[in-house]
Amino acid sequence: MNAALTRYRVMATVVGVLLIVLILVGVPLANFDGTGMWGVLPSTPDVWPVGSTAHDVGEAITTYLGVAHGWLYMIFLVTAFMLARKARWDLVFTLVTLVSGTIPILSFWAEHRATARVRAEHDV
Amino acid sequence: MSSAARLLSPRYWGVHLLALVLVGAAGWLGLWQLDAWQTRRAADTVDLSQVAPEQLAAVLGADDPFPGDKVGQPIVVAGTWLPEATFSVSGRTGGPGGDEGSWMVTPLLVDGGDAALLVVRGWIADPGTAAAPPTGAAELVGWLQPSEGSVVPDPDPDDDVLPALRVADAAQRLDRDLYGAYAVVADEVAPGGLPAGERATNPGTAGLVPATPAELPEAGRFTAVRNLLYGIEWWVFGAFAAFIWWRHLRDLREGWEAQEQTTRSVPGDGEDGRPLTDGHAVRSES
Repeated sequence: MNAALTRYRVMATVVGVLLIVLILVGVPLANFDGTGMWGVLPSTPDVWPVGSTAHDVGEAITTYLGVAHGWLYMIFLVTAFMLARKARWDLVFTLVTLVSGTIPILSFWAEHRATARVRAEHDV
Repeated sequence: MSSAARLLSPRYWGVHLLALVLVGAAGWLGLWQLDAWQTRRAADTVDLSQVAPEQLAAVLGADDPFPGDKVGQPIVVAGTWLPEATFSVSGRTGGPGGDEGSWMVTPLLVDGGDAALLVVRGWIADPGTAAAPPTGAAELVGWLQPSEGSVVPDPDPDDDVLPALRVADAAQRLDRDLYGAYAVVADEVAPGGLPAGERATNPGTAGLVPATPAELPEAGRFTAVRNLLYGIEWWVFGAFAAFIWWRHLRDLREGWEAQEQTTRSVPGDGEDGRPLTDGHAVRSES
């Protein structure tokens, strides 16, 4: 149980930090260039125009970190799911923990909540 | 009620629906990324204006076979027009409306050798109305194209119209060696003072619409690879959601079966004498 909890906490922290860099730094840098965004928004504030250093950094973050984060999130899902099985969480608690990993900042609250529950219910 | 039938009761419809929505959404998002991957690669393929031109001599010698990785490569070439060997290639679409018309082709005797390169100067609806072919020295940028392969019978071998741009057919029209390729005069190339567009010397494009190259290069291996990887990720995610759903149902069934067993095997009835807590005992490994 202790090992499963540690694996989950490491992955939750890694994914949570990268998610903040990706969503709160990379995405604004790459997309606030005055053009449309993801085919959803017709235009964005023109803060960092295409070709500026900030925009290039944003593109690099969303390209490389975006893909890397996706795969790390898969690993996070597996570690969280294995912990959920060992700790016998119900489906709802499990799903909330898994899904919270996709929301910046909230992922840390989910990790805290999961760790507290494991510590309260099991001898670790 | 059997445990399988019990899983279908309305109490568990929410779980099934959630699994269906998650797997469906992940599958759809994966398809969306795959579509974006293909679209971006196709767009990248068309954009020859981003490729830096090279000198013809650096890409292709007069007797060389066509280099397969140079399809659409912009090349800089200087030479002298051979206007008497001008011909047209019929059955080409072009112009603003995508009409049927012809390519006007004139060989260019390349400087520093005695071989000529076929140059598509442009497209015109009616080749009979084309201006006189250019004469004299020229320097231009063209997109390199391999000779067209299919053998199309020429209805009239003696006129100045060919049904396809085969170098072997064109070679019979003039007493020169021909490069095993042809070039399409480029109207838009990468910036950098190249002899393209208005900077070209005597490109012979007057009165003609810029022609579009028939063969385009393949997109690079890593073009839009992000979209491909995201697409795969979504499908892995969908598979994971399906796995959680399956495990959850299995847990439920095992729980019910263990319950049934404990109610049935009352101690003393002598069926198998296993302890009452059998179903739970194996799960307390933590």
